[in-house]
Amino acid sequence: MKKRSLMLLASLMLVLSVFLAACSGDDSADGGKDKDKGKDKGKDNEKTEEGSGDNAAELDFPLAVSNDAEAMEDGEMTVAMVAGEPFEGTLNRNFYSGTYDAEILSYFDEGLLDTDGDYLITNEGAATYELSEDNKTLTLKIKDGVKWHDGEPVKTSDLLYSYQLLGHPDYAGNRYDFIIENVVGMPEYHEGKTKEISGIEIINDQEMKFTYTEASPSILSGFWSYATPRHYVGDVMTGETTIKDLESSDKIRVNPIGFGPYKIDKIVPGESVLYSRNDDYWRGKPALKSIVQKVVSPATIVESVKKGDIDLATIPADQYLTVKDVDNIELLAQVDYAYTYIGFKQGKWDAKKKENVTDPDAKMASKELRQAMWYAMDNATIGEKLYHGLRFPGTSLIIPVFKSFHDESVEGRMFDPEKAKQLLDDAGFEDKDGDGFREDQNGEKLVINFASMSGGETAEPIAKAYMQNWADIGLKVELVDGRLHDFNAFYDMVENDDPKIDIYQGAWGTGSDPDPSGLYGRTASFNYTRYTSEKNDELLKAGTSEKAFDLEYRKDIYNQWQELMYEDVPVAPTVYRYALEAANKRVVNYSIEPGKESDRYKWGVAE
Amino acid sequence: MVKFIFRRLLVMIPQLFLLSLIIFVLAKQMPGDAVTGAFMGNPNVTPEQVEKIREQYGLNDPWYVQYGAWVGKAVKGDLGQSYTHKQPVTSLLAGRVANTITLSLFVLIVSYAVAIPLGILAGRWSDTWVDKLIVTYNYFSFATPLFVFALLMLFVFGFILGWFPTGGSVDIRIESGTFAQFMSKLHHLVLPGLSGALLATFGTIQYLRNDIIDTKLKDFVKTARSKGVPEGKVYTRHILRNSLLPIAAFLGYEITGLIGGSIFLEVIFSYPGLGQLFIQSITGRDFTVVTAIVMISGAAVIVGTMLSDVILSAIDPRIRIE
Repeated sequence: MKKRSLMLLASLMLVLSVFLAACSGDDSADGGKDKDKGKDKGKDNEKTEEGSGDNAAELDFPLAVSNDAEAMEDGEMTVAMVAGEPFEGTLNRNFYSGTYDAEILSYFDEGLLDTDGDYLITNEGAATYELSEDNKTLTLKIKDGVKWHDGEPVKTSDLLYSYQLLGHPDYAGNRYDFIIENVVGMPEYHEGKTKEISGIEIINDQEMKFTYTEASPSILSGFWSYATPRHYVGDVMTGETTIKDLESSDKIRVNPIGFGPYKIDKIVPGESVLYSRNDDYWRGKPALKSIVQKVVSPATIVESVKKGDIDLATIPADQYLTVKDVDNIELLAQVDYAYTYIGFKQGKWDAKKKENVTDPDAKMASKELRQAMWYAMDNATIGEKLYHGLRFPGTSLIIPVFKSFHDESVEGRMFDPEKAKQLLDDAGFEDKDGDGFREDQNGEKLVINFASMSGGETAEPIAKAYMQNWADIGLKVELVDGRLHDFNAFYDMVENDDPKIDIYQGAWGTGSDPDPSGLYGRTASFNYTRYTSEKNDELLKAGTSEKAFDLEYRKDIYNQWQELMYEDVPVAPTVYRYALEAANKRVVNYSIEPGKESDRYKWGVAE
Repeated sequence: MVKFIFRRLLVMIPQLFLLSLIIFVLAKQMPGDAVTGAFMGNPNVTPEQVEKIREQYGLNDPWYVQYGAWVGKAVKGDLGQSYTHKQPVTSLLAGRVANTITLSLFVLIVSYAVAIPLGILAGRWSDTWVDKLIVTYNYFSFATPLFVFALLMLFVFGFILGWFPTGGSVDIRIESGTFAQFMSKLHHLVLPGLSGALLATFGTIQYLRNDIIDTKLKDFVKTARSKGVPEGKVYTRHILRNSLLPIAAFLGYEITGLIGGSIFLEVIFSYPGLGQLFIQSITGRDFTVVTAIVMISGAAVIVGTMLSDVILSAIDPRIRIE
């Protein structure tokens, strides 16, 4: 049996490699060569040295389709979920974990509150909110005429139900976070001490009040406004069902309901979903009569799009070159909610105290060393050569997606090996024994152990490129165990502060809350580098303090924080990425701009 | 015979038990678990919640405790809860098994339907151009990797000619339970099925051809010919009866393959089946699912070999198991 699974594993790898090879194919190789030919190497360097935060400028994608025709009456649309695997089908906001499940959810379910371009809640959605003077109480009012797909009105007790599920002692999902815990009485409820959440008060079917322990602007970006149809799925609170039964019930997996623009007619498990128009949608009549959403293999997505079988699809970055010249589609892209980074391990997680403890004697404790390593990485070339420009050098730890909080003035440390060498020289990292590599400040041999993840055809070349970059400034960097590690093995080591690791390459999805304390705070277990500083504590605290409800104040705090991260370099952001989407030219009113989610019901197709 | 089957089934229990123990220990040896790295998307989740999830799924217990709990439930038919899919493993598998078996059965039938006639032709007219053509095809099919061939089939018949759908197992717009839906399923099955079947013929053709050539020269065939039996009958009555025996016996082993599914076909044709689920569960460290799939295919192997023995003894009077 072992042999069998080994063979399956081996075959999977083969499949992957062939897909990737087939996808990027000859085009990419040729394209790469052409670029080399056309450009003067010296010039290239000059450009990257000057390069400011504006490296994204080379590629410019629209955020919305240009077809401005009227949507046709009763149109039908086919949407792809580009995946090499079936979707999981846990179609409830409280329980789902897969990204494809999220895509499905967004067609038939929505939050009660809309969000704007900064992902802050607004009053445009199915409900309105009001904050009290002390910013600790949020009153929410559901508008008239908001109805579940079965015709029942959406009630405040449905939103309460979501909180009862998220905080339930049996809840095993990943959405019980600081913002949910901040509701008064939630910790007691979560521990099973009470059956009531004292901080949530239902005034009537359309009006309710949330009281928070601490006033924090995170409420504005992280407020959970997804209601759960209590009458339909069954009530855990009355013992009608249990969390476990609910998660696996047909009411969530086979015929779930929401109050979004489209209703689910049918699901072929793991494969496709058929929606029909929700005529009672509260914003108005949705443009399309029906939508088919189906899983399409990354190996065939470009052909499917070209053939016109698919109207909307995300395009894997490695297929950009093949899809670029397809003429019946338009390519849209926005910067993804994620960044890749190099983390510098500087301490340990203290499980007892539940906080990060920075070790001043750690190998990576020198700020100059970290700064130099950032300067040494040629991210512009990596983005251009390996991702055809779909990735570009990162500058700051608050990504550009957060328009109001991303600090444009922080320019990051662009490729500059000379500056890196200078920094190391000044800090006392010198090559004393003449072997071509620098020793540390005490003259001891310095070997930095680098952990990186395997997966995809770019993992190896990127790790190699960085190691070469660092060797060029005289730093000896070696791969941990001499190889790349798979996802689980990698995070197992990183999470547990394996002493084998000095630096690692990781990536973070940022979610929609700009607050970085979950990733860089003193008590954040995800702060894998274990970097801490008083100034950092102070700024992160200020960023979510009551004063930070003032946008200008919060902006200023986060600008200071980004400056601090630029200076201290607990991690060096390497690249930001574009998320690429293809839309058939017949698609109208389609936009991927943040804050335009509410226009989903207008998406349509023209003749 | 009944006694034999019964005995084999009895032996199966310790075999499966041992298999489960091995797979359990090995699975736990893999670094990380289902929760590792599962929160890349929501950094605000509290560390206590992460720990709680590990507790709830028993991931912090030593392996023998987990194994004990698993066996206790498994004998009652409960294979545990999938962390990734948030549903009982049994219902998760039930959804995929049907697809996998349909596809594998189709592949099996078509491959036999192609291979047996070709094998017979090649054997009967060995060293003629017919034989050479078939042997050439055979080596081609042996040398061609499935994923290359499947992609090629897909592009030619799916995208260029547009004869067949390019992915999925059924057209969702067609009403459930109708004849049209059945036809749609069949239509979706043709491309992946043919891709799999045309490459699965090698063994059968080769075996059959060689065996027929071999048998042609046997004494009893010469006797039959010299008695004046017509050539056609020599083949149907004497040669084929002998040469098809081992092929029939192999059928049992083929059943084994039915369960495993084909990761290549499933990925390329977006056909949700067990193969993909297996790989997905290994990379996601969804241990309950991994264990369940290994157990099922383990059981299939055991049953399959037993079936082979049974078939063999049923059709060949010379072999009888007491």
